Amino acid sequence: MFPQVAPSIPQVIQLIPLNNYLWLSTALFVIGIVGVLTRRNAIVVFMSIELMLNAVNLLLVAFSSYRSDPTGQVFVFFIMAVAAAEVAVGLAIIVMIYRNSRSIDIGFLNKLKF
Amino acid sequence: MLSIILLSIFGIVVLFLGFQKSKNILLPATLLCIAIAFAANFVHWNDAPGLYFKEMLFENRLTMSFSAIVLLSAFLVVALTRGFADDEAAQPAEYYAIILFSLVGAIMMIGFDNLIMLFLGVEILSVSMYVLTGSDKRNLRSNEAALKYFLMGAFATGIMLFGIALLYGATGSFNLTDIRGYVGTNSFSISTLLYVGLLLVLIGMLFKVSAAPFHFWTPDVYDGAPTVFTAFMSTIVKTAGFAAIYRLLSGSFEGIYNFWWFTLAAITILTLVVGNITAVYQQSFKRMMAYSSISHAGYLLLSLTAMTAQTPDAIVFYSLAYSLATVSAFGVLMAVAREKSVQSHENAEDFEAFNGLGKRNPLLAFVLTVSMLSLAGIPLTAGFWGKFFIFGTIVERGNLIWMLIVAILMSAVGIYYYFKVIIATYMKDGETGALRVPPFYRIVLIVSTTLTLLFGLIPKLLS
Amino acid sequence: MNYLPSDYLPIIVQLVLALGFIVITMLVTHNIGPKRNSKLKDEPFECGIEAKGDARTPISIKYFLVAILFVLFDVEVIFMYPWAVNFKKLGLFGFGEMILFMGLLLAGFYYIIKKGVLEWEK
Repeated sequence: MFPQVAPSIPQVIQLIPLNNYLWLSTALFVIGIVGVLTRRNAIVVFMSIELMLNAVNLLLVAFSSYRSDPTGQVFVFFIMAVAAAEVAVGLAIIVMIYRNSRSIDIGFLNKLKF
Repeated sequence: MLSIILLSIFGIVVLFLGFQKSKNILLPATLLCIAIAFAANFVHWNDAPGLYFKEMLFENRLTMSFSAIVLLSAFLVVALTRGFADDEAAQPAEYYAIILFSLVGAIMMIGFDNLIMLFLGVEILSVSMYVLTGSDKRNLRSNEAALKYFLMGAFATGIMLFGIALLYGATGSFNLTDIRGYVGTNSFSISTLLYVGLLLVLIGMLFKVSAAPFHFWTPDVYDGAPTVFTAFMSTIVKTAGFAAIYRLLSGSFEGIYNFWWFTLAAITILTLVVGNITAVYQQSFKRMMAYSSISHAGYLLLSLTAMTAQTPDAIVFYSLAYSLATVSAFGVLMAVAREKSVQSHENAEDFEAFNGLGKRNPLLAFVLTVSMLSLAGIPLTAGFWGKFFIFGTIVERGNLIWMLIVAILMSAVGIYYYFKVIIATYMKDGETGALRVPPFYRIVLIVSTTLTLLFGLIPKLLS
Repeated sequence: MNYLPSDYLPIIVQLVLALGFIVITMLVTHNIGPKRNSKLKDEPFECGIEAKGDARTPISIKYFLVAILFVLFDVEVIFMYPWAVNFKKLGLFGFGEMILFMGLLLAGFYYIIKKGVLEWEK
């Protein structure tokens, strides 16, 4: 896909074509999306979202090493740090809900339906 | 760019001010911080546009105007949090600090020049919003809104990130200028990854500004969140989100306008129709405002679809008019609902809450009327000129007149439901007895109404 | 460097051996050993003390808070790896930036201590 690959890339990486990485992370991403849309347990939905983020990380690292450009990997660090902050807030919200309602099934979230 | 640094420091300072015995200093301190940041925002007004922080952030008059709108509406909303610290269990210092931090995120979104900054800005703003939405800890509705907002927001972030990764794969850079260069030089051999990536980033961003068909979380979240933070969300997140989308599309992807305009046009029409038609059927004022905010997202998208030279000015003016009107509408709701929720917890936020307001408190009724007229786009208010400029960009584009017709029909629908509120205020009989309004509220409401009328009379004031 | 598929053979052998060992031991122990069930034998081992309650009792929210805080502060280390690798190239400027970053992090830590989150017995 990228003919202008720089020679400094380790040959090992090129043995697996870039398209394979692309398909793998797309598959992981789609599994994450399906998980978010179908699962009822808030924690599992949450894990699916993390799966989506990790698919993105994988893709960024693959692109980054194919182009021998470190920016992509730096972005991965930022995604990981921000995801940790998001996890903290998300789990706090889930704990808060559990304390008030004794359940983390998102099916019961219907107080706000009209 | 000074305002970003200042707001970060102020946030930490306010956080530590919370350890003091007296909580009364917090609100004035936060207001002072926002005011200083507002002044610092204009330091570079007369300088040439420039890049800051190793080419991470960009600043010109447009980004400064957007930041000014965000800071102004934040100032007005924060002033409405008076009485917030009265509750013994409340932790106002934390909330004020989070508000200040979220403004940093908003300004980063407005002026990003690197997709890393876009991502960080979106996340700083969103994570703060998740916390603020759930700030009413004992209330299950607030909890539910927070969880919904969190799950949907994180989902949207994931989609946006995948798009950014694909853009990086296609162009090899996160930099807007480099991406623009790639689009410009390879105009006949653009990688498919770029198209898919752009679509995914747009979907992620449209989720955040609640455009249809990605709007389904909006009414629930706006309804469940404490009213102050609903006002905060519907003004600041919208303004920053549209500034970011404009910056992305105009900064990098003007070269492939033919690719994205149709997608955006379809989403715009859907947003306008869904937002306006559904708003008609709402019983609760807060839900009505949620759908109305969706429809206003539609008008802003209309201007983005046109993408002419006038688009930035139109978006700035419309965001300002919309923010001012929304803040005063929610301010009136808070003043009325506070009185009402003391007596009964049921339906404090329905239209009936406004019944007989014209007799109980003429000032509130007037403020509400002006804000509804402005949202509906009636002449002599800022909202009219906002819609006028937005429609002007569409006319300038030329081949999109059919969209203009849909938009005008939909604003006619809008007039119906906004007038329902005005009719409830003046024509219907409700409770009697004068409504007392705290002085802070009165000042905020008078200021925002005056500005709405001022910009309605002299729209040229802004340039 | 060039790897052929046959170079991965040792890994596959190792995988098969590991899996095979587990499966075989499980099968053998289940089939060879005698089975005598009684009420006492089926109980979880508790040093002679009678087991009571459910294993899923709610634990103190403090564990949860500390775990969350650990995640937050733990992840920030990743920013130090690229900094450490480029330490010489970044020079004094990079050092100052890292001090600033750590200062902000420590401000957060000070806030936590002041809030009394880490006081276990209160």
